[in-house]
Amino acid sequence: MLKILIPSIFLIFTAWTAPKKQLWSTTLAYSLIIALISLSWLVNPAETGWSFLGLHMATDPLSTPLLVLTCWLLPLMILASQNHISPEPENRQRMYITLLTSLQIFLIMAFGATEMFMFYVMFEATLIPTLIIITRWGNQAERLNAGTYFLFYTLAGSLPLLVALLLLQNSTGTLSLLTLQFCPPAPLSSYADKMWWAGCLIAFLVKMPLYGAHLWLPKAHVEAPIAGSMVLAAVLLKLGGYGMMRMMILLEPLTKELSYPFIIFALWGIIMTGSICLRQTDLKSLIAYSSVSHMGLVAAGILIQTPWGFSGALILMIAHGLTSSALFCLANTNYERTHSRTMVLARGLQMALPLMTSWWFIASLANLALPPLPNLMGELMIISSLFNWSWWTLALTGIGTLITAAYSLYMFLMTQRGPLPKHIIALDPSHSREHLLLALHLLPLLLLILKPEIIWGWTA
Amino acid sequence: MSAWRRVHAKLRALRGVVPSARDTHRHTWTVDGSLTLCRSFSTGRPAQNDFFKDLEAQLAAARKKMVDALPGSSWTPLQVNPNLPPERVDIVIVGGGVVGWSIAYWLKQRDGMREGHRVLVVEKDPTYSQASTVLSAGGIRQQFSLLENIQLSLASAEFLRNINVQLGVLNEDPIDLQFNHSGYLFLANEAVAHIMEENYNIQRHAGAKVSLLSPKRLKEKFPWINTDGVALASYGLENEGWFDPWTLLNAFKRKALSLGVIQCCGEVTDFTCSKKYMMTADGDLEPVKRIKSVKVQMPNSLEYQPVECAVVVNAAGAFSGKLTEMLGIGSGPKDSIAGVPLPVEPRKRYVYVAHCPEGPGLDTPFLIDYSGVYFRREGLGGNYIAGASPEEEEEPDVSNLEVDHQFFEEKVWPALANRVPAFEKLKVTSAWAGFYDYNTFDQNCIIGTHPLISNMYFATGFSGHGLQHSPAVGCAVAELILDGGFQTFDLSAFGFKRILDQEPILERNIV
Repeated sequence: MLKILIPSIFLIFTAWTAPKKQLWSTTLAYSLIIALISLSWLVNPAETGWSFLGLHMATDPLSTPLLVLTCWLLPLMILASQNHISPEPENRQRMYITLLTSLQIFLIMAFGATEMFMFYVMFEATLIPTLIIITRWGNQAERLNAGTYFLFYTLAGSLPLLVALLLLQNSTGTLSLLTLQFCPPAPLSSYADKMWWAGCLIAFLVKMPLYGAHLWLPKAHVEAPIAGSMVLAAVLLKLGGYGMMRMMILLEPLTKELSYPFIIFALWGIIMTGSICLRQTDLKSLIAYSSVSHMGLVAAGILIQTPWGFSGALILMIAHGLTSSALFCLANTNYERTHSRTMVLARGLQMALPLMTSWWFIASLANLALPPLPNLMGELMIISSLFNWSWWTLALTGIGTLITAAYSLYMFLMTQRGPLPKHIIALDPSHSREHLLLALHLLPLLLLILKPEIIWGWTA
Repeated sequence: MSAWRRVHAKLRALRGVVPSARDTHRHTWTVDGSLTLCRSFSTGRPAQNDFFKDLEAQLAAARKKMVDALPGSSWTPLQVNPNLPPERVDIVIVGGGVVGWSIAYWLKQRDGMREGHRVLVVEKDPTYSQASTVLSAGGIRQQFSLLENIQLSLASAEFLRNINVQLGVLNEDPIDLQFNHSGYLFLANEAVAHIMEENYNIQRHAGAKVSLLSPKRLKEKFPWINTDGVALASYGLENEGWFDPWTLLNAFKRKALSLGVIQCCGEVTDFTCSKKYMMTADGDLEPVKRIKSVKVQMPNSLEYQPVECAVVVNAAGAFSGKLTEMLGIGSGPKDSIAGVPLPVEPRKRYVYVAHCPEGPGLDTPFLIDYSGVYFRREGLGGNYIAGASPEEEEEPDVSNLEVDHQFFEEKVWPALANRVPAFEKLKVTSAWAGFYDYNTFDQNCIIGTHPLISNMYFATGFSGHGLQHSPAVGCAVAELILDGGFQTFDLSAFGFKRILDQEPILERNIV
């Protein structure tokens, strides 16, 4: 664990001491090496479930894919930001890289935490670099509003979590996940226990986000710069899912009844946010709402608490992380050329940038869960476990899948096909950097088709 | 309520018992502890500090503060100049005249929702003191020789007749354009009568309701005309006349603002572009620019805002040439594409208002004589508006909008009095001058992109018929931007290409 964490901490020093001309290539190479070393976590011979066990941190089949995703994302973020940050003064560029790296450090510590309190502190700590990235480097005046929504939605949800964790520590004497998994189920029957249950989960549901508490997400995604959008979509939302999966063990038997409204919210959210996507004119907003839609499915899968549900949720989280991040990178390539996020002003790009169209195609197909991509595998597992729980959910998830396909195709056809407007000529050709970025997003997704054991969690 | 009054009285008395620095001018004290009301005789302070009046005001202020703090209000802790345009929009329209606002309206009208693409209209003079729109004579006619011009006017006339359907805003007053459907009357002498006949055929073919009149018929219809020298007259029967340009401008503006167009009072002083060189078919390297952002300067201030945008529309009218020069068009080597400037410059035209009680009367059309002189009725009180196009060599100075009254005496009045004898006894009551956005190349509009600037659309160079074409041109430019090509009207003949190819499309017989 430390072999990744210490180099990440030293990446901050590198960001401040590297010579200006080699700043971006150095940090890129460094973070790529960290990412490649992090792949060693995937080799998991331990029988106990917890590997690389240290005093405070460990990995297990649930957190390993998320850790690898986090480490993989940093070089991609650095690659994506290179162009739009380059006109800024040198110190600001270094600060930007520092913020991205500190985000990675907090996330590694969050996913690798064995103690729930450390997870909580890291969960909160990730808010600060993200807030700074959104409000300082965002594009428009609305970014202040977006930052406020982002910060306060999450904080309001996580204060009850703090209280709930302290109560748990009081009653069980420990918050270590290694011990808590063996705790006998507590007799939870009073009204206060129900509030405790809600307190444990609300923070993660807001983070996921669940449909009713999702307002911060489109704002934050749209206003953030590309690296902010990437890390938000790919990893920060998964913090919510991961936290929920860890807490679920402790929340028996209340979850059987209390999770009903949240499952319904999640399923309804898939359809609602999918329909909103069909009417969006802003490309980044469309991708943001599609994130809410996919995460609704993940939330429903986790709240069901079946092995297939958990497994499907984890697979979908990883696959969605890569896909959503790829779509944001594609939207950014559009934005850097036309300076507009409105889809109607940047259409017919297949005529102008045909190679980028192939990446758009693969990313859109991944978004609409085309077999044999892991997106579909995750969705199928969740949908079938939901069907097992109740036949009626099939109607909602079925319509949700249909709408997902509709808006993914809509996005592809609006941006790539159709007449090329008169003002979209003489665009910069696609840079190799952009091709590399998208390849590094989508190739792992395609390779995961061949070895899904890595991402399906304990339930093998 | 009376309990409050008693408490209030006690408080006031207590204040009187313990004299403060403010109360030194009180004249009544309590000495023995009994409560008496204190009155102050100073006029510098209100005689009664009415707690309740202040309470109302303070409650209102507190409520306003709460409403501001809630989400949904536009209060921010950083108070910035509210006139500054947003940092990023999708389409910037430079020029807030009737063409600019028409384009803004049509751009937002298509997507039918308040979100969607963001459109900003930048106008440097909100009083419109020099804008061509409001200084226009306001006429609309279909009597052109180019088919596209006829179609544009026909469509615009339809739009104007149904203006409340198109531009009506809920809960606001309906629009009264004062559209006088009096028609245009063109007079032709022997030399140009054949041109008039050919034009008549084109106009009828396009659907305009125009009629040709012989001098005898002309005299029957309009007895006040002196038909000497007139061989043929062309009279518009429908969809021709004049209207109030200020009302149209405000109607477009009001509707566009209600659809979510952002407006800004400022001047575009600079562009930030990215430039690359591309090779033409002849092997020359031409610089192709893409506008990344527009620098909008606030009026009377050093403050400016760079507005990042995807598309810029040049609807700056008479000042379009100056705007395009900022992008380097016209300052390249002589025989390159970059060396061809936008051929639009301001040309001053005078309009004189004359009062003539014995004049032609209420059914006067907009008469245009073959000598270039024109006049029309203005209002119902026997006033007429008249003017003439000066010769090419005698173009007036465009640095100001001063009126040359000599021009009326020497050039306009004689021809006018010749054509309409009643006008020998008229009195000029007022006059003004306005600019044509004159296309020096072929006096027709320029619509479309420039080969060297990827994302700037022109909608300028109307040379005197911008107002009457504005609704249709707005629709065409909006389709060009959003659909990638003309759908309703094919205005590809008006592209910039004809200027580079030196192939003018000229109107025959214009004023």
